[in-house]
Amino acid sequence: MHVADPDQSDGKNAGRMLAAMALPVRRPLQAASALSVFASLLWIAQAAFVAWALSALLAPGGMVEAAIAAGGFALIGLIRAGLGFVAEGISFRAAEKIVVTRRKEIVARESLRRRNGTAGSAAIAALAAEKLDLIEPYLTRYAPARMRVAVVPIVILAIAFALSWAVGLVLLVSGPLIPVFMALVGMAAKEASERQMQKIGSLNDLLSERLSALVDIRLLDAGDAVVAGFRHEADSLRQRTMEVLRIAFLSSTVLELFSAIGVAMVAVYVGFSLLGQLGFGAYATPLTAAEGIFLLLLAPDYFQPMRDLSAAWHDKASAEAVAGELAGWHEAGAGQILGTGDPQPALTGPAHIALRGLTLRLPDGRDLRFPDLDIPAGTSIAITGASGAGKTTLLSLLAGLQQPAGGAILVAGRPLTDDTADAWRARLGWVPQAPRFLNASLRRNVTLGALYDPARLSGALATAAVGDVVAAAPRGLQTRLGEAGGGLSGGEGRRLTVARAAYAGADVLLADEPTADLDAETARAVADGLMALSRAGATLIVATHDAALAARMDRQVSLEAG
Amino acid sequence: MRALFRILRLIMASRPGVMLRGALLGVVVLLAGVALLGLSGWFITAAAAAGLVGAGAVFDVFRPAAAVRMLALGRTAARYGERLLTHDATLRALTDLRALLLRHLSQAPHDRLVRLRGALALNRLMADVDALDAIPLRFALPILSALVAHLVSFAALVLLVDLRVAVWVVATYVIAAGAILVWAARTADKPSRRVERARQAFRARLIDLLRARDDLAVYGRLGDQREAVLDADRRRGAERARLDRTERFAGALLAMTGTLVVAGALLLGAWLVRAGVFQAPVAALGVFMALALAESIAPLRRTAAEMGRMSDAARRVEHSLVPDAGPAPGQGQTTPAAGAPAIELERVCFSRGAAGAPVLNGFSLCLMPGQTVALEGPSGRGKSTLLLILAGLLTPQGGTVRVLGHPVDAWSPKALRRHLALLPQRSALMSGSIREALSLACPDLPDSAAWEVLRAVCLEQTLRAKGGLDWRLGEAGAGLSGGEQRRLALARVLLRRPDVLLLDEPTEGLDAETAMRVLAGLRGYLPDAAILIASHNATERAWAGATICVG
Repeated sequence: MHVADPDQSDGKNAGRMLAAMALPVRRPLQAASALSVFASLLWIAQAAFVAWALSALLAPGGMVEAAIAAGGFALIGLIRAGLGFVAEGISFRAAEKIVVTRRKEIVARESLRRRNGTAGSAAIAALAAEKLDLIEPYLTRYAPARMRVAVVPIVILAIAFALSWAVGLVLLVSGPLIPVFMALVGMAAKEASERQMQKIGSLNDLLSERLSALVDIRLLDAGDAVVAGFRHEADSLRQRTMEVLRIAFLSSTVLELFSAIGVAMVAVYVGFSLLGQLGFGAYATPLTAAEGIFLLLLAPDYFQPMRDLSAAWHDKASAEAVAGELAGWHEAGAGQILGTGDPQPALTGPAHIALRGLTLRLPDGRDLRFPDLDIPAGTSIAITGASGAGKTTLLSLLAGLQQPAGGAILVAGRPLTDDTADAWRARLGWVPQAPRFLNASLRRNVTLGALYDPARLSGALATAAVGDVVAAAPRGLQTRLGEAGGGLSGGEGRRLTVARAAYAGADVLLADEPTADLDAETARAVADGLMALSRAGATLIVATHDAALAARMDRQVSLEAG
Repeated sequence: MRALFRILRLIMASRPGVMLRGALLGVVVLLAGVALLGLSGWFITAAAAAGLVGAGAVFDVFRPAAAVRMLALGRTAARYGERLLTHDATLRALTDLRALLLRHLSQAPHDRLVRLRGALALNRLMADVDALDAIPLRFALPILSALVAHLVSFAALVLLVDLRVAVWVVATYVIAAGAILVWAARTADKPSRRVERARQAFRARLIDLLRARDDLAVYGRLGDQREAVLDADRRRGAERARLDRTERFAGALLAMTGTLVVAGALLLGAWLVRAGVFQAPVAALGVFMALALAESIAPLRRTAAEMGRMSDAARRVEHSLVPDAGPAPGQGQTTPAAGAPAIELERVCFSRGAAGAPVLNGFSLCLMPGQTVALEGPSGRGKSTLLLILAGLLTPQGGTVRVLGHPVDAWSPKALRRHLALLPQRSALMSGSIREALSLACPDLPDSAAWEVLRAVCLEQTLRAKGGLDWRLGEAGAGLSGGEQRRLALARVLLRRPDVLLLDEPTEGLDAETAMRVLAGLRGYLPDAAILIASHNATERAWAGATICVG
């Protein structure tokens, strides 16, 4: 299902990215490929044993030869299986290492990346959780197959020529012709297979879109119509896909055809020449029975590496698509938060905040200037101004979640930098406009993984006056929030974030539009929670355009748009 | 395992013919390979034997040679046909499975449907459905084809070679491959489930990390959450390694089985040649057939590795397929009682979950046809809940709910939907044309009727400017603004021409003037309907006239 979008990959870029990714594990991968080549070549010895034993049976005796040959064949076969086991293990571990490294890189960078809203988090999660895995088959299957193609057919060809130039010629002609024909069909097939992969993906898109609209579908009593519509769309999708596959499969059929004809021609030639009906093809001495059987056994393995490679073609295409997307992700630059977001001992001293010549670079290249401002510890202030004036941005600058273009923020007498941000945030409470909850219990969403202290929790819940929110939740404090639970209204969510700030013992509160889109009573409940913390001595900074709320603050500052 | 077989039956039952044809061609491919190699081996050895005794001139070379060529071509053609047929059958089966799921889920309880709107739940379900695709492809068809190919080969070996060789080759293959399959499937069972579970945990935690990044950073929890994300990946990695080891080991064992069977066939053949049972070329036939049969068991390693994941997914998906208990189609009330109130609520009580405090506590309300009432009250105090109860999507713990004279659960579901419509707080639009979006509410909708309802919700001009009824919406309604999407959803509800219309914040996201025009338009469109609005905006309340407080 999870197929990277080939449109996003620029072929060459993706190839370079793949090569760069494989670089740290180049050696184990080469070792694994070499082992797989060696295992393939062992077949030559096995074939020799079988040929020798069968030809010995043509004459009287031969039981001893058969016993030796069966033993030798079995022994080498066991070694071959063992080598395959080891080689696959090496390449699996190497591939896993690459994928895990990339995954860590994505998690590390994305966790500190400054991003507006939630757009893209699903795409990042899909890239990290599923698509990256598509690189593994490329490294474990495609790469060894490519090395086998480079070695095994040439060795077998040399043996064939050494025994009979006619057999060698048959293989020589049918072998290299394959790439020519495959290239012809393959050009259509490559494009086709990519398109086909997207099509399979879009069957799931069709379904998931309908699944997420099921409430509406049910209310409109449109279930039957929607199922029929889904069938219809899926059917036309299938027909288009099959059109494409008819061409795509031709490529591998050409390969099959040549390998089948090659084997058949070797068999027929060897048969005729053993009968003495063909006088050409061998050198001074005519072909013996053992040599004939030996050549017949080798012929299929002459073509096998090419068949393996063609079977792994998809692996390469999807790995390149993922690599292309990864390259795109690398290039997409974005600001970082200050500090690391890890716990630190809180910054000491009174929580005085000062803004000095603070500016921020907007996406359109202009600079947004903030007024110089002093917020003494323990006071409350309303930041007002039209939408787009930078109220929300100022709050995230004050929390060190965004880097300013110029100027400075002084917190508790120290400049807010990478070094002080974590210690400063240890004193902050954060009440965002659209709270996001973790996929965890309500309790954990309030304590956020800090040490659980029942007394402190009930104190925090009382301060924020969210007892009714907890009581209305289906399982009280154990109710699962986040996507799995849902069920909290906007007002309830914001009030829980006030409780979160209270639990963290924050003495500086940053609240973004805490009363927007709420009815009067709920708005008052949220504001009361904030004021309770303010009365307890916390500094309160509220971005709002709610005049009633602003009036409850000690002071109001208006930001001007632009 | 049982769930796996039940799902397999469902998939197979939907297209038995197509699936079987695919399986049959699969058998043909395997057998053609066996015949090609066996015949070639016999032909060469026999030719060598004839050449040695100088009987080359009387040896019939043309028929075997022609057969070898024919098998080579036939095998290629069969392979092409098999790949086309099985892909076609698979795509059909995938469609059937998804359509089945869609049909069953459309009957599921409301809270389950709400959960499905979340990206995580949806992703999990889609991953399960994907895993089910492997049931016919990597479980049923390979095992079935291999078994049939072995049966036919057994008969051929008995006829052409010897019973003892046939028993050795086929019995060893079937028993050993079966044992390896069972062992590997058991060993891989837990890791293959855990890999998927860890992957879902990784995904959920990563999305938490990305979406709640600001909150986590402010409270110094970014590092913890990052560690939790990576911890899930480490768990996945460890289980993945175990799974891979099992799969590789199964692969090695299957390869060794092939080796031992061939070596045994060689030894047995030699002994029987010396015992005078048959000649060397027949021994070669046995050896080469044994060699070719190894191809049939190679795909089983992947089957074994994925079985745990398949049966896990089958169990969960099957759970979704269990139909909801409710009035059977054709049962229940189908026509409104004459002269009854549109809505009658008496002492309705409702609480979320067993332990939750009541959201509604003895709420009563009566609404006559043609009346309009707005429900007001703080958010989270039960306005939306009330509408969902009236629409029969939630069941109250106490009290009675009557719609058009009958208890809401006594209605036949189809008739209830015909007489009552609800615009939920959040409605979903799907990609497709405007015409398709409206047809969902009213199939075979004439253009004039479509424009009439669009006029009522003040969308006519907007959509005419965009390109009319054939203009296409993107995914989830992309291409229209939030307010326009809201109005299109409203138009869809109006098209049902219900007697009872329930609206949950219908003008959310509209400016006051447009909101007023839309409200006037919808009353004009449905002059006789009873309309109940859950609202916290003044425009809606002013328009409704009567207001009742909830909570």
